[in-house]
Amino acid sequence: MAKKYPETKILSRNFGVENSWTLDVARERGAYKSLEKALEEMTPDQLIEEVKTSRVRGRGGAGFPTGVKWGFVPKENDKPKYLVLNADESEPGTFKDRYLMELDPHLVLEGCLLCAYACGLSTIYIYVRGEYPLSIERLEGAIEEARKAGFIGKKVLGKKGFDVECYVHPGAGAYICGEETGMLESLEGKRGHPRIKPPFPAVEGAFGCPTVINNVETLAHVPWIVEHGGQAFADQGIQPDPDNPKALGSSGTKLMGVSGPVKNPGVWEFEFGITVKELIYDYAGGPLDGREVKAVIPGGLSMPVLTADELDVKMGFDDLVKVGSGLGTGTAIVMDDSCDMVEACENIAHFFADESCGQCTPCREGCHWMEKIFARIKGGEGTPADLDLLERLFINIEGRTICALADAAVWPLRSIIRKFRHEFLAKMPGTDAADGEDPKAAEAETVGAK
Amino acid sequence: MADKVSTIFINGTEYPFKEGQTVIQVCHENGIDVPHYCYHPGLSIAGNCRICMVEVEGNPQPQISCKMQCAPPPWVSEPLKIQTESEVAEEGRSGVMEMLLVNHPLDCPICDQAGECHLQDYSYEHGGGKASTSTAKTKLPKNVPFGEKIVYDAERCIKCTLCVRFCQEVTETNELDLGGRGDEEIVIMTSKGEFETPYAMNIIDICPVGALTSKDFRFKSRLWFMDFAPSIDTSSAKGVNITTGGREGEFLRIEPRYNPGVNQWWMSDEGRLGYKFVNSPTRVKAPLVRGENGELAEALWHNAIDAAGTALRASPGDVLVDGGCTLEEMALAQELASAMGAKAKFAAATGEGDDWLITEEKGANAKGGEMLGLARAKRASAAAVLMIERDEHVNASMREKAGAVVVFALDMEQVPDSAQVVFPMPSWAEREGLLVNIDGLVQAMERNQGIGPGNLTPPVELLEELIGEFDDAYEWRGREGVIESIRAMKAFEGVPFPGDTATAEVGA
Amino acid sequence: MTSTNGAPVSPPEAVEFPPKEIKKECDEIVARYPTRMAACLPVLHVAQRHFGGWVSPEVEAGVAEYLGVSDSHIRGLLTFYAMYNDKPAGRHEVWVCRTLTCWLLGAEKLRETALAKSGCEKPGMTSPDGKFLVKNMECLGLCEAAPAVFVDGKPHVNVSNEQLEKLMDACE
Repeated sequence: MAKKYPETKILSRNFGVENSWTLDVARERGAYKSLEKALEEMTPDQLIEEVKTSRVRGRGGAGFPTGVKWGFVPKENDKPKYLVLNADESEPGTFKDRYLMELDPHLVLEGCLLCAYACGLSTIYIYVRGEYPLSIERLEGAIEEARKAGFIGKKVLGKKGFDVECYVHPGAGAYICGEETGMLESLEGKRGHPRIKPPFPAVEGAFGCPTVINNVETLAHVPWIVEHGGQAFADQGIQPDPDNPKALGSSGTKLMGVSGPVKNPGVWEFEFGITVKELIYDYAGGPLDGREVKAVIPGGLSMPVLTADELDVKMGFDDLVKVGSGLGTGTAIVMDDSCDMVEACENIAHFFADESCGQCTPCREGCHWMEKIFARIKGGEGTPADLDLLERLFINIEGRTICALADAAVWPLRSIIRKFRHEFLAKMPGTDAADGEDPKAAEAETVGAK
Repeated sequence: MADKVSTIFINGTEYPFKEGQTVIQVCHENGIDVPHYCYHPGLSIAGNCRICMVEVEGNPQPQISCKMQCAPPPWVSEPLKIQTESEVAEEGRSGVMEMLLVNHPLDCPICDQAGECHLQDYSYEHGGGKASTSTAKTKLPKNVPFGEKIVYDAERCIKCTLCVRFCQEVTETNELDLGGRGDEEIVIMTSKGEFETPYAMNIIDICPVGALTSKDFRFKSRLWFMDFAPSIDTSSAKGVNITTGGREGEFLRIEPRYNPGVNQWWMSDEGRLGYKFVNSPTRVKAPLVRGENGELAEALWHNAIDAAGTALRASPGDVLVDGGCTLEEMALAQELASAMGAKAKFAAATGEGDDWLITEEKGANAKGGEMLGLARAKRASAAAVLMIERDEHVNASMREKAGAVVVFALDMEQVPDSAQVVFPMPSWAEREGLLVNIDGLVQAMERNQGIGPGNLTPPVELLEELIGEFDDAYEWRGREGVIESIRAMKAFEGVPFPGDTATAEVGA
Repeated sequence: MTSTNGAPVSPPEAVEFPPKEIKKECDEIVARYPTRMAACLPVLHVAQRHFGGWVSPEVEAGVAEYLGVSDSHIRGLLTFYAMYNDKPAGRHEVWVCRTLTCWLLGAEKLRETALAKSGCEKPGMTSPDGKFLVKNMECLGLCEAAPAVFVDGKPHVNVSNEQLEKLMDACE
């Protein structure tokens, strides 16, 4: 047997340490050293350059290069500038940021403060989902401690001109507020209806002012980058593909998780390079006894599924795109052979119908419609034409809305009905599949997907 | 760096655009139809309905034209190429149409919006024509009162948020918001349950579907049975452009008509509902002459004119006209007065106003009267002729104390005891003529054939007849001739009239 | 205000907000933001906690006045965000996660257990005795320890039907 892919302890170095969330323990273990270093040795521009060099990509799901995002913040602008830390983590199957906030809130704060210093931001709002009471408590406690210790407030660590405030803003139960502009609306005290871009938040974000929005895990990487240099971060993980300008690589480490019917669900940190299969079998313990893995959504709920045959792919931004899926949040959901894929689709469609903000027609009406079609198929009242109807709805929903929630609904559902078509046909009276014949043959007979 | 791109190709034709313009704006300016629900030129861009999708060359996905800038991104030096009728665009729109109708009740047979419903129209043009779903529709609140004047139906609502944005951006009174989430999203109102703004009913007009209907107009008539005519709101002096709607004599509704320089797309509720007196059961419908028995009795038009001439010759005096009388009527009233050796005056009420479309001046043509040189009657005084349309202008005291022998009255209730001859006064919706608004803009109103008793001789003609009773040499000029003589007056020198140029726009 | 049948209904009388017990907390929240409206979400959390687990029309009106927004804006938030209750809540609130991971690991049974145990007719409703409000929630972010429930704001993970029954039994 090949050697097990090694775990790394950078972001997770304080996980499991007693009272790791307190300032005393955190400082003993090096917290705020990078902030001190940056304030003493680096200009804000140098810090942005370092983050650019690291090629760190957003860990919230979209994978946008963080340094580039920071560079968008206009320098010549009298308005106050904000950091909104995306700690909404509403993506189903995702729980990695919770570990960071509960177990190492000072690392999160240090990342925020470094970002504020680099981009000239004066206020940090940490938008934590309301369903994370312990994260809220630990962050608020950490902010209080950090304020007393001079890391937050006027003249941070005595640095003239670097004044920064930090507050926790609790969400109240809405998936859409994890979308960055929906989050801004919610922060402003409104319903979380995503905004049309442009203008982009870096120019016109919270309260009409320039705003940086980053994921918790993304910023938690920054202290290490400051300490060891951007190049050291970039040297880790999967390098960019020189032949493909879109493949920016997956540098550094990532918190990866697995949930669902596996022996040992959880979250671990790896240098990019581990495969989905290694993650699920070597770390999550594989399927429960007597079961087999049937399908895996590699990153949250919003990505296309991989079948059991497709798991030999690296958990990386570009690698998963290459096989028609995506890294998303890097936390996989496993479905085993006891899972009825039609019912799973109904469950997934229900989620998106429930969480659609209601703004754009295709998403508001379409998600619920899809759910009803899956319910109909589940109830034995579907026909093969329903699968064609679904394919048509996917076209009319994907890419036709203000934000990506609708796309996120389409991707897992479309991949499931394409990859597990026979399960759908088997529930349709009169089809060969329903009569117990070879599912592949039945598939060939029916009108194929576009 | 290359020159800034300043043109855009739409369906193969190159059009110039102004900085900041969106694709839908340039399309509409050039008569290219792009359907839209949530887009309104007077409100912010919401981009939520998705029906205005067009194809942008190089992009496989159709894009919404309401938000899309005509200017390409800075790194592109070629003009954008847009297709509004291509397969990509059409397929995008029909997909949206289908979604919009999934939960729509399709109750067109009982919906007031039928006939002017964008959902109906676009469904016809861009829809698939058949339903792909047999699933149950979402149930939402119906028949919800939004104040005293408006009814909301959440099932018909397509959540375009035009009404919400109107109350936020135009009136800034914030009575409406969205409630619920996803396909249970609905429009909700503040718990006060009444609008603060006196302009609330505009949300009925801008509602592209039948979700917001007027309590006043609900279930009264199908649109295709009605007559419509462009006119002017005469409830105040702003000269708000309107369209009157009536059917078989009954005045049924008023809607604002776009005029960028006056009222844009809007009007006040007061103006919109200010037509009720026109439908009075006691309208004067024929000329009346007081007989020997002292009672007013119907008479033939020429007999009434003779009787009026006789009465006026016996007791000539001032002519007092309603401040809502047209420029032509006021000019002729002036000529009649001078033929009698007397003066013409106008009376107009004043009241509360705002800084927008409701003026303190209530006489719709008070400004015209002043320009013609008519004095403003402040209190009751003697007059031989009265022209009365609205009660509030030539008010009860003026009517009683004038001692007028010839009275043009809209309603029998307005006729004073002194009247020897009564002519029916058609309402403004039944007359054509010019009004000068408070800002000096001359605007035209047209007659709506579907409103009023019909067969009423226009007051302009009657006034010319009466002048003829005093002046044998009087030459009939007709309305056009009267307008010419008004334009020759010094006060009207250089003043643009409707039809002259675009500056005296009658509306778009 | 008029009801759906047109009969006049008087608008709710706003409670005095914030009451003195939570005034300092609310004022501090408001001070964090450049606009008063931005304080809506955190202040509503405080208000709901203080006023028995739900935001009544009277509290809604009080919060609206306090933050300088219309009460319909507040109602728009209450009906958008899943954690707020705009109807009387039970003395205890049970959330059952229904999203994929929990569903794969038995969340449907947990929901049935919660409904049966509480006597609630369906999720989102309060039991007839006013003891429980059972809510179906989307992903609670406790997936590595699914299925998960919250009882009165406290997370419980790897919950079996028996454990949920015990948790609910422990509620007074």
